[in-house]
Amino acid sequence: MKRIKTLGKTLFFTFTTLLLSACALPGIGGQAGEESISIAGLASTEGQIMAFMVEGMVEHYMDVDAQVVNNLGTSSMAHQAMVNGDVNITGVKYTGTSLTGDLGRDPITDPELAYDTVVELFAEEHQQKWFPTYGFANTYAFMVTRELAEEHDLETISDLEPIAGELRAGVDNSWMEREGDGYRAFLDTYEFDFQRVTPMQIGLVYDALQAGEMDIVLGYSTDGRIASYDLVVLEDDRQLFPPYDASPLASYEVLEAYPQLESIFLKMENTITNEQMQELNFAADNNLIEPKVVATQFLEENNYFEDKEPFLESANNEGGDTNG
Amino acid sequence: MVDVTEMSMIQQLIYYMGQNGAYVWSQFLRHFLISIYGVVFASIVGIPIGFWLARHAKMADWAIGAANVIQTIPSLAMLSILMLGLGVGADTVVMTVFLYSLLPILKNTYAGVRNVDHSLLDAGKGMGMTRWQLTYKVELPLALSVIMAGIRNALVVAIGITAIGTFIGAGGLGDIITRGVNATDGGSIILAGTIPTAFMAIISDLFLGWLEKKVDPSNRTKK
Repeated sequence: MKRIKTLGKTLFFTFTTLLLSACALPGIGGQAGEESISIAGLASTEGQIMAFMVEGMVEHYMDVDAQVVNNLGTSSMAHQAMVNGDVNITGVKYTGTSLTGDLGRDPITDPELAYDTVVELFAEEHQQKWFPTYGFANTYAFMVTRELAEEHDLETISDLEPIAGELRAGVDNSWMEREGDGYRAFLDTYEFDFQRVTPMQIGLVYDALQAGEMDIVLGYSTDGRIASYDLVVLEDDRQLFPPYDASPLASYEVLEAYPQLESIFLKMENTITNEQMQELNFAADNNLIEPKVVATQFLEENNYFEDKEPFLESANNEGGDTNG
Repeated sequence: MVDVTEMSMIQQLIYYMGQNGAYVWSQFLRHFLISIYGVVFASIVGIPIGFWLARHAKMADWAIGAANVIQTIPSLAMLSILMLGLGVGADTVVMTVFLYSLLPILKNTYAGVRNVDHSLLDAGKGMGMTRWQLTYKVELPLALSVIMAGIRNALVVAIGITAIGTFIGAGGLGDIITRGVNATDGGSIILAGTIPTAFMAIISDLFLGWLEKKVDPSNRTKK
């Protein structure tokens, strides 16, 4: 009996130490520790694509196994996971969201000032490094059909002024009541109104525009349907909407452990345009291709940006691209 | 480019599998491993405790009661509570599966060992077997099929719990299901996540059921 007892005890302790030391179980990876790279992916399609993109780049250039912690509902949940140390990289962060959400500051409409502010505040308050943007921004944007844009020569929101009185506008529900960049702010900034403004669910606005039920809608600038319906995004020439430039974020701890990460993120600077992001989102949302597959295909098409500065040697194919 | 909106749901499902087969397979393996790890750890802990409890019947009510209480906590709540302490990721889900698997394994081990015929134990004792030999050569083989039934039960439940693990970033087939729910026209994606999950549960159940029969000593003596 005593032997059983001791046997049980030994097994129990082996087990608990195994789990408590958070040692990686083969096949499923472990929690983030000092040795592992964990990337937070959001619940949004774009957030997942970008997390898998970072994973693909890390595994291509470094001989380590990176891990995507997927489906973290919102940007603030990913922030919490970063602060707790459950993950040490976030695939995509947006200046506007982080400024008002994670950092609790007032919105800043000047893109450069907003960027400088988040870089500084994340370094000071959270010991995290905010990298230069991927090149796309997922912001609110007014968009019209190509026909209407060509007919009236529309490029910016201000161009709408002469015809706005005849336009039916479809906008996001929550935008109507938003402070700072909502409907009221729009009236103050641009000083004109539409014939009628209909609040609706954000996912429906693109189809409403396509179907001709609306003449102009407010949507997200990287949505895949912009590309597929051939919509024209109007430039926000009076900077009503705060910038939502997309960047990767990494903790100083992981950058210290893997100095190569820094050059990987710099390599990814300005590599993806709004139009490209629209296409990637479209592939995942409408063409039934998983974000991970979309990300891998994109990286392969672009040869993992091997020809872009800063040059790095690939970990996978020895003696590969070294002509840099 | 194929226009997927024109396809029926079944065609979409086939197209989806063609495009993302490798991804679905990797999530399938991950899902399976998370469930298995939890159940294996629970067996390592639960079976010895079950044996011990069989000899300390007074403690048994108390211990099985405690395991019962764990079982009554909804799995989403349990995941969230553990997430506070252990953080997000697969390890937390393994821990949750472990806790839920304890009860069926503990209970079945206890019942299996208690039901071993006393005369057989006495016979063993009469043959000069030590306590350890009795446990290992008489009780364990006789209780094994009941213990297996507990493990089988635990594994099927575990596969279901792991699907919820997606909410704390553990990955697995739950990732595919949530994506399908969020997508505008995601019926086929939901199927692509649920069919393999159900398939996994059914196959493991059948396999363990077969194993259970195989180790049942009453089957062996018939031959």
